[in-house]
Amino acid sequence: MNLIKKEILTTDLTTWTIGPYHGSLPAPMRLRLSLDGEIITDCDVETGFLHRGLEKACEFQSWRAAVAYADHLDPECAVFGELVLCLAVEQLAEIEVPARAKCIRVILSELSRISSHLSYMVRMARAVGSETIIHYLLRDRERILDLFELLTGARFSINFLRFGGVQADVTDGFIERVLEVCELIRIRMKEYNDLFTFNFGFVKRTSRVAPISKDLVSFCGVTGPNARASGVSFDVRKKFPYSGYDRLDFETPLGQGEGGVLGDVHDRFLIRLREITQSMEILKQLLDVVPSGEYVNRKLAKDSVVPPGEAYSRIESSRGLLGCHVVSDGGPSPSRVQFRSPTLANLLAIPQIVRGIRIEDLPVVLASLDLGIAEADR
Amino acid sequence: MMNSDNSWIVAWSDSLGFPEAMPQWIYAAAALICTFCFVIVPCGALMSYFERKLAADLQARVGPNRAGPAGILQPIADLLKLLQKESRTEWNWKENIWLSVHTMALYSTLAVLPLGSMAVLVNTEMSVFLPFWAALVLALGTMLLGLGQNSVPGWFGGIRVAAQTLAGSFPALISLLCTGVRSGSFRWSSLAESQGFSPWDWTLLANPFQMIAFSVFVMSGLVLLAIPPLDGGLSMSDIHGGVASHLYGRRLSLFQFGRFYGFFFWSVITVVLFLGAWDLPVSLVNSLKSMGAHQLLALSELLWLLVKTFALMLLIIWIAKVNSRSRVDQITDFVWRVLSPFSLAALVGSSLWAGWRAF
Amino acid sequence: MKKSIFSAVGLYVRDVLLGAWSITGSCMTAFPYLLRWGDLRKEVTEGYPDPISSKTADDLPTRSRGLLFNDIDRCTGCGECEKVCPSRCIKIKDEPGADPSKLWVSVFDIDFSRCIFCGLCVEVCQPGSLAHTRQYEGAAYQVSDLVASFGRGTVTDEHRSKWAILRKMSESDEASP
Repeated sequence: MNLIKKEILTTDLTTWTIGPYHGSLPAPMRLRLSLDGEIITDCDVETGFLHRGLEKACEFQSWRAAVAYADHLDPECAVFGELVLCLAVEQLAEIEVPARAKCIRVILSELSRISSHLSYMVRMARAVGSETIIHYLLRDRERILDLFELLTGARFSINFLRFGGVQADVTDGFIERVLEVCELIRIRMKEYNDLFTFNFGFVKRTSRVAPISKDLVSFCGVTGPNARASGVSFDVRKKFPYSGYDRLDFETPLGQGEGGVLGDVHDRFLIRLREITQSMEILKQLLDVVPSGEYVNRKLAKDSVVPPGEAYSRIESSRGLLGCHVVSDGGPSPSRVQFRSPTLANLLAIPQIVRGIRIEDLPVVLASLDLGIAEADR
Repeated sequence: MMNSDNSWIVAWSDSLGFPEAMPQWIYAAAALICTFCFVIVPCGALMSYFERKLAADLQARVGPNRAGPAGILQPIADLLKLLQKESRTEWNWKENIWLSVHTMALYSTLAVLPLGSMAVLVNTEMSVFLPFWAALVLALGTMLLGLGQNSVPGWFGGIRVAAQTLAGSFPALISLLCTGVRSGSFRWSSLAESQGFSPWDWTLLANPFQMIAFSVFVMSGLVLLAIPPLDGGLSMSDIHGGVASHLYGRRLSLFQFGRFYGFFFWSVITVVLFLGAWDLPVSLVNSLKSMGAHQLLALSELLWLLVKTFALMLLIIWIAKVNSRSRVDQITDFVWRVLSPFSLAALVGSSLWAGWRAF
Repeated sequence: MKKSIFSAVGLYVRDVLLGAWSITGSCMTAFPYLLRWGDLRKEVTEGYPDPISSKTADDLPTRSRGLLFNDIDRCTGCGECEKVCPSRCIKIKDEPGADPSKLWVSVFDIDFSRCIFCGLCVEVCQPGSLAHTRQYEGAAYQVSDLVASFGRGTVTDEHRSKWAILRKMSESDEASP
């Protein structure tokens, strides 16, 4: 009798292993969940399924080809990986970058930021099961990819940045088309908001879910939009300006806790929306006065070597602080290239924030963190 | 129990030349099979095509365009593809049993499906409530199917479907009573007779409480049968479609068609209860009857009913495609906190309205 | 502060109405797409390779990086592209040929299964023989089919001896006048 009772009444924790490929995961990784009913009590994150040995591979390449590798750091927004490596090498070799090249670099970064945030919204929409908006967002991101193709010749891995500038000058009509796309996205923004952002169901799904506290932000080293959603005002573009961001007038939006709790999924989503608007303002400021001049440092000899030493550079990628540490021994190839990816910090935060949420919210929370697993695994 | 007056049998058997003496159950069985093959299956194929095209139009896409003109043969192509697929797992007796229970429960509602004044097989005071029995057995079947699958998505899918169904049946039943209050009977025929062809004669527009009852009935049906957007139990993003995640090929097509059929029968019932059933203009009905064209009458009634059903289904699909999916605890919350009080208010209101009209 | 029952009911009804309003609003936002109102709401899908697609390879931007093509007549066989390639997908074998100004490129293979289309090889090509085409349809049934060969073919010893004589002759020609 006692035995039967025990068998019926024990409510053990269920273990559920998801991954490496699963619909609720935005990227290949493995989660070991302990479930109490449908409530997650514990979570263990295992990554490394997309490890390509990218940092090591850079050591066997010429300096020039290392940029092509950095380009593959994060396939979704290739320009950030290139930019951070170029900045580090330019700092090390003391290469001057012409103003026009800086401007083109910032245009590319901001376009990448918009396109990355649009794909972020796609992943959020997929997680909450809202089908229609996915197609609208992807359609508009396509316009930005078209711009990349027009300027650089490739849509994703653009490999356009060079030490001391960029590969080529802007083509005719590029600037007009960028403005056109900005205007288009500004019009569409209202549509996205009506259809998605202020949709009752979406707000219900996202508000008060899995907030990241300020303590957790500093504990895990979360940066970028996720940290700003929690009210931590840290933006590399403001704190350590690079490529002429100091001459631009823009504000970094902060989370305001509209969903009920500061730093919840809803805040993290809204901060991306506001950053898209912000990026478009930056683009408009830039495109008003594109400085004339060379697009690449011509004084740089074709086969100049990088002097021995080391340098560290950091930029604000669409996911947060992206850093690059370069060590040179004066040889034809780098002796060490190391990246600091923002996604790794976000991954560290996952076990802390998913405790107590329901498994139906898991895809939403994972999507809301904007995990670029490619740059975390490298 | 069969219908006591045999007018529907006589009308059909006379014209088709069946011998009078055949037992009634043969007619009933033939009617069920004919309904399934010539109404439900074509409707399912058409509806899946319409759904894809509607979704494509909403999402700035083209939609199916390869199989046949404008992709009209896409459902057939899909079916052939699913039939070719092999099962991934070995033979699982539990799955087979629960899938058959599930399917039998579902298609038992065919007997009470009202598809026109001459196509009502079971016409008793209780016939409106019979689909509920089937929906509950269906939920039980789905739950056991999920539990028998030995996988976490299956368990969660099954339990969620059961939770949703339990929650959804209360407001559905209460709002159903509102229509009975107006018509005075739960016979399909009297429900249809109490309404008319013009929208002003529909139960929906009879009084504001019926409108509330209508929206509650539709939404609780979505919850009851786990139809998008209120399909937490079969959510695609976290549990890969729940119960459906481990079904393959033929079983998957059986399961998916069952889900369509659930949606379809709920829409048919909604149309019969609230949206003027199969009522055609009185003059047209009279002239057809005087001409003796009973089959033409039955056919046009069926078509008119299906047009309204499809419109309702497409409206729901539109809402489902545009809005986000709800979480299962939010769904049950919504049912108990919003739908249930509103359905009770609708019942009280429509009763008072009917009482006031009676005086 | 204690809330009165009326304000609680009021808030409840307001929430329900807001929800209904927001869901209707979302549906109506998508409505213009059903009727294709305006240029902004046209369908954007382009079937491939169906005729509804208007795009061809010629419509791509001029800088577009498609499959690589090597004009072997202009190629000097310097091997710069092989050195710079980050994915090591170019294989070159060359030797002195009849013409002393350039090498005889017997093998010039580009393995498109490894190529990442970064464009570095085109950038370093001094004679400008290697270039991106705008061709993008590179699918094949076998991985081995993805290797594009531009080389002039292998050489026999007979050729080598003949070319050595030719080279000597042209050198002496240059020296004599």
